Amino acid sequence: MNFLRALLFWVTRSRWLIFAIVIGIILFALPTPDGLSSEAHHLIVIIIITLLLVITEPIPLPATALFIIVSLTYFGIDKPNEIAHAFMNDAVFFIMGSLMLAVAIVKQGWDARIALGIIKLTGNKTRNVVMGFTVISALLSSFIGGHTVAALMLPIGMTLVRYTSRDVEKSRGLAAILLFSIAYGALVGSIGTPSGAGRNVIMLNYLNESGIGNISYAHWMLYIYPLVIILAPLVAFILMTSFSTNYDVLDSGIRKLKVQVARAGAITFRELGGLFIFILVFLGWIFFSTRFGLGTIALTGVMLYIIFGLVKWDDINRNTHWGVIILFGATIVLGTYMRSTGAALWLANGLISLLANGAEPLGFLSDVVIITMSTAMANTLSGSATVAVLGPITLHMGDNLIHQGLLTVIASAFGFFTAVAAPVCAIIYSSGLVSAKDFFKAGWKVGLISMIILIIYANTYWRLWF
Amino acid sequence: MRLLIAISSKEYSEATLKIGLEIARAFKACVTIACVSPKSSSFTRDQVRLAQESMERWNFDQPAVSVLEWAFDYLKDNQFISPESCETGFQKKLLVKRAGTRGEINLEGVFCKQVNLILRFGEIISELRDEVQKHSYDVTIIGGSQKRRMAHDLVQYIDSSILVVKQIDFNKLYRVLLAVDDSKGTKKAVDFGITIAKAYKLEVDVLTVSKRQRFGSGYRGASDRACQYLEEASVKYQRHLKVGDPVETIVAMAGENHITIMGISSKNPLKKFFVGSKPVSVMGKSDSPILIVK
Repeated sequence: MNFLRALLFWVTRSRWLIFAIVIGIILFALPTPDGLSSEAHHLIVIIIITLLLVITEPIPLPATALFIIVSLTYFGIDKPNEIAHAFMNDAVFFIMGSLMLAVAIVKQGWDARIALGIIKLTGNKTRNVVMGFTVISALLSSFIGGHTVAALMLPIGMTLVRYTSRDVEKSRGLAAILLFSIAYGALVGSIGTPSGAGRNVIMLNYLNESGIGNISYAHWMLYIYPLVIILAPLVAFILMTSFSTNYDVLDSGIRKLKVQVARAGAITFRELGGLFIFILVFLGWIFFSTRFGLGTIALTGVMLYIIFGLVKWDDINRNTHWGVIILFGATIVLGTYMRSTGAALWLANGLISLLANGAEPLGFLSDVVIITMSTAMANTLSGSATVAVLGPITLHMGDNLIHQGLLTVIASAFGFFTAVAAPVCAIIYSSGLVSAKDFFKAGWKVGLISMIILIIYANTYWRLWF
Repeated sequence: MRLLIAISSKEYSEATLKIGLEIARAFKACVTIACVSPKSSSFTRDQVRLAQESMERWNFDQPAVSVLEWAFDYLKDNQFISPESCETGFQKKLLVKRAGTRGEINLEGVFCKQVNLILRFGEIISELRDEVQKHSYDVTIIGGSQKRRMAHDLVQYIDSSILVVKQIDFNKLYRVLLAVDDSKGTKKAVDFGITIAKAYKLEVDVLTVSKRQRFGSGYRGASDRACQYLEEASVKYQRHLKVGDPVETIVAMAGENHITIMGISSKNPLKKFFVGSKPVSVMGKSDSPILIVK
């Protein structure tokens, strides 16, 4: 009886694992469709199982990563050595480096300085503070990554909320506006430079491997930064109209913030050192990334932070989930084999013929499909995994690789709808001050408008460049 | 006796904490107050932890730690813990230091030897099940949930008796509704019902419901035995033998002024999983507190 109960408990907790296995067995057993090699058929099944496992998480993500690695070998997608080679590249180095850099930067205590900067810039009016939060978050996340910004900005936002009113119910609207301005600002800003997010580097690698050459840091900014400048203030405006706050000014919150900042004292030599290393990394990304890779430069920065004692390896080790890094590596391997086996092309052609009935090229509709698929997938999966898996397919959905690639990577940043969509959303959700419903309340407006603007932007501004 | 009280927030768990501690006081039971915080997705766990470390530098606690601090203040204000424990204060570092899996603060109780505050991370049923299995609790006390699946999982997978606290009014005089039938769990439920009725000087309604007009010897015998035990324990009671749908009848009689006590179903786990059971259905439909005894 106890065994049966334990078995039932396992079954109820692992129902998605069982579902994924059953779906996998059925799909493997189906005959290989016309125009698809058996390797590509097996690869598509592995991808479907992986997506189910990643979205529903019935097993730890590192186990899913291991599933990808071993199944690629067992199903004969490639030789073990080739798979191992494909596993580590500059994009994985960058994801690893950016997670480590985030720890190093947060440990430098820049939050108090940022708080001071925002206060000076915005004054005490709520609408100015919201605008300031969104724009500063966007600006910073372009260079130091969204989750680093959220980790730095969240205590600032919470100080303003807590000390403006102790009444949780009364300050709910204010909390939502301020915390969403951090998260959404960071999401919008993360598209602005290649170093803004791991997904950007994954797409850069795909574009590079597709033979269009390296897009430099400066070119990426030239193509995308104007969109950040358009979206950031718009996000602030939508947030102010989506949530009502009882407070037009934040006097007491600002006063408390000033006290906190005063405690930090004058800028120290150590803080200057930390800033100097980051500036070196940033300059390295701009001037040398095409030669040395963004990942290598990020890891150089981490190395310098450790050498100069500005962060401890223990802190980095504690806050770096190696299993997730392995998973990103594994999803990138999937992307690589989707291209080499022809699975990506087959899926893209299938999608095109489904939508256009095989008669005409998709044209404008292709943009809508790419953006919708990327946004939907990013809100249930993760931005980086979306680009890794979806990128190889969307690159085949038109005749302009850069156009499709950038659309995919930008739309993958639109994780506005759910608390699990992006690390920045999970971070503000963990504060307990915003609910899952709040994400949808503001997210659908910000998401929809961002998608519309992206389509217009891509079909106007980008035409000037490619 | 060992009690596990599961809380989630001040807003939703005040009644659960209050009733749990009152039971602990009455039975001089050791108490563990648990807050289970949902685990972030593996994709975002480290970034969330980094942000939480950043918040701790600004003296902001994780929501679950704040909930346990509120529970500590409640214990202190209502003199459930010793003056020494009050003086030591809420040592949140003990929770946060081991927050990856299970953080624990041990306090000295006034009515019992030990009161523990624990913080766990993960899915609530899995965490409570693990806690009960490893630390052998007699009763798990939890607030009501509207989800039927949650009621099923609590009863099915947690190896202790379950008290679900729903809409309790501390100014109201409750009666105990003892639902008895021929199931194996009934005997233990009657014992529990008598102990509670005696501890709180409550009157008892002994209810047996048959689907058929004629009561079988098993049902009538169970009712007879329950009444005999109540008489021996000098507890005032009324006996009810009703015909109808057992779940609907029990829920209707429980209304809002009964604490329902019933034994666990003796159906096999597979049947309970697909068809359900009386205790699970009553737990899902009833608006008053309900104790399922195992």
